[in-house]
Amino acid sequence: MRPENYEAQRQPPSNEYELNFGPNHPGIEGNYALKVKLHGDIVLEAKADGGYLHRGFEKLMEQRLWIQNIALVPRICVPDPSPMELCYSMAVEELCGLKVPQRAQWLRVMQLELSRIAAHLFTFGGHAATTGMYSTMYWGVADRDLLLDLFEEFTGGRVYSIYNIPGGVRRELPEGFLQRLTETLDYIESRLPDYDNLFFKNQVFVKRAKGTGVMSREQALEWGVTGPNLRATGLAFDVRRDDPYLVYDQLAFDIPVEESGDAWARTLVRRKELMESIRILRQVVEILPDIHGPIRAPIPNPLAWNVPAGETYTRVESSKGELCYYVVSNGGPKPYRVHVRGPSSMHAVQVLEKMSVGSRIEDIAQTMFSLDACPPEVDR
Amino acid sequence: MVMSRLQKIPVVEEKKGNPLARVFDDLVRFCRSRSLFILHYCTGCGAIELPPAMTSRFDMERLGIQPMVSPRQADILLITGYVSIKTLKRVILTYEQMGSPKYVVGICSCTVNGGMYWQSYATAKKLDEYMPVDLYIAGCMPRPEAVISGLQKLMDRIKNGEADSWQDYYRNYDYYLGNQQKLFGEDWQTPTDIITEAKHYELMGEGTLGQHTRLLEQHQQPLEALEMRLGHKLKEPVE
Ligand code: SF4
Repeated sequence: MRPENYEAQRQPPSNEYELNFGPNHPGIEGNYALKVKLHGDIVLEAKADGGYLHRGFEKLMEQRLWIQNIALVPRICVPDPSPMELCYSMAVEELCGLKVPQRAQWLRVMQLELSRIAAHLFTFGGHAATTGMYSTMYWGVADRDLLLDLFEEFTGGRVYSIYNIPGGVRRELPEGFLQRLTETLDYIESRLPDYDNLFFKNQVFVKRAKGTGVMSREQALEWGVTGPNLRATGLAFDVRRDDPYLVYDQLAFDIPVEESGDAWARTLVRRKELMESIRILRQVVEILPDIHGPIRAPIPNPLAWNVPAGETYTRVESSKGELCYYVVSNGGPKPYRVHVRGPSSMHAVQVLEKMSVGSRIEDIAQTMFSLDACPPEVDR
Repeated sequence: MVMSRLQKIPVVEEKKGNPLARVFDDLVRFCRSRSLFILHYCTGCGAIELPPAMTSRFDMERLGIQPMVSPRQADILLITGYVSIKTLKRVILTYEQMGSPKYVVGICSCTVNGGMYWQSYATAKKLDEYMPVDLYIAGCMPRPEAVISGLQKLMDRIKNGEADSWQDYYRNYDYYLGNQQKLFGEDWQTPTDIITEAKHYELMGEGTLGQHTRLLEQHQQPLEALEMRLGHKLKEPVE
């Protein structure tokens, strides 16, 4: 199973060898591969080998109607699909000059933050599994499922909600939903001390994660790192605060930062972000009942919808980092060009390649999970 | 009256062979259906519903189904979603390495007919053109309950001796190889010698050999040890 794009440079000396790490490997996240050159168990060189999940999204989107693409975009990032549909909808709204009603904006914030919590719980689970702590994985996945139940209730879909459409959201909240949301948030908050004892304060994890996959702030900026990975190097940059979209400027939340820039710091940043998301959701629960009005701006017949010519660039903060869409329209019924700038393309390729060098082979999986890279979004 | 009732009773086929051996076979099949190992290979986005299905909430382990990391010890190859062409090569190599009896389950609409990506240039649309599939679980994506009920159907089929698609791969190797060659070029070959295995299992069928397997012999290169291959040059892409 040698990759097509990879050729060995020279005959290695007998104590150096090459290893294919993935795609069929339990330590790798998703369908992704790394080719590593090792000396003993120290990594000398690593090369990312993606493309196993390539579907040609950007081309597919040029062949579908504006409204059809809403169903397509969540598939780009499977664990955290909501920011994808939101970012695309925002781009289309900007091109058409649509104004999103207030209530829809609050509902969108609620969906985004729920999705962020779900994605972070999933990441904790995966990260814990790479250090051998499977109970955290079981817990994380089970608690995430409670959030998926909420998603199912108010959007109709467990994983791919397809809740946003250009101009607003698709459905009104079911009756009593905010009550159930509060209960779930209470439950998840009550679980966090258990997570601390089992995972975040566990010496097995702390000893392995500290000093693994370190990057400095300069390196992070140079490599295009965004999101929690950037904040773990001490730079408090968050699109939600620094370039607010939706109603984030009316909400109170902090940007957690850590200084050390290693796997430990990245995980702690996510742990604190989870708390912030819960805080945001509680504010939403409080404010949402007082906001009335439509949930959707009127749009023309979606099957014959010619979006005015122009180009736009929108960005949102997903749980993995900064997610941007560049959309060009030539006034036709389909996009002329869509480009997706996902955070994982940087994290899983250039950052992972550089950070693996010098580490031990058993830490590669941990580094990858602590970067929270999402292979389907790398390959698209 | 009596006759009509009698007619409804299904005719039980007379089974050949030693009755004791038959009981033994049934027992083996029963045990086999109760301890299934799924190969841990996530090919597409449907894989995101597997962790919930396997862990505490839906708990597949109570049915005796567990993930397994190496293909040689796994029984089920779960294709969780779309397979891009690059992945399909690995899937076929993995499938051929698994020990018989092996079962292929296609989760997600994408394995049935291409699903969402019906017009994509990068994905293989119908999985059963490249390997025999025992069971499809349709949906985009199927819920964990659907996955579990699908796997229960597979267990029933294994128990009744109906899940024997792996024999089909030996009997119709030429068809599957032909489709693979269409995608990967006609010098495509895998390290596993399917024809010798078919002879060994006495599963040579009419479709085992044919025009495509002849190409295999034509392009045959002896398998070398991995160290020998490190310097090997890339072949020119076949148009
Ligand atoms: S059927 Fe849907 S969920 Fe499954 S692989 Fe295809 S797009 Fe993904």
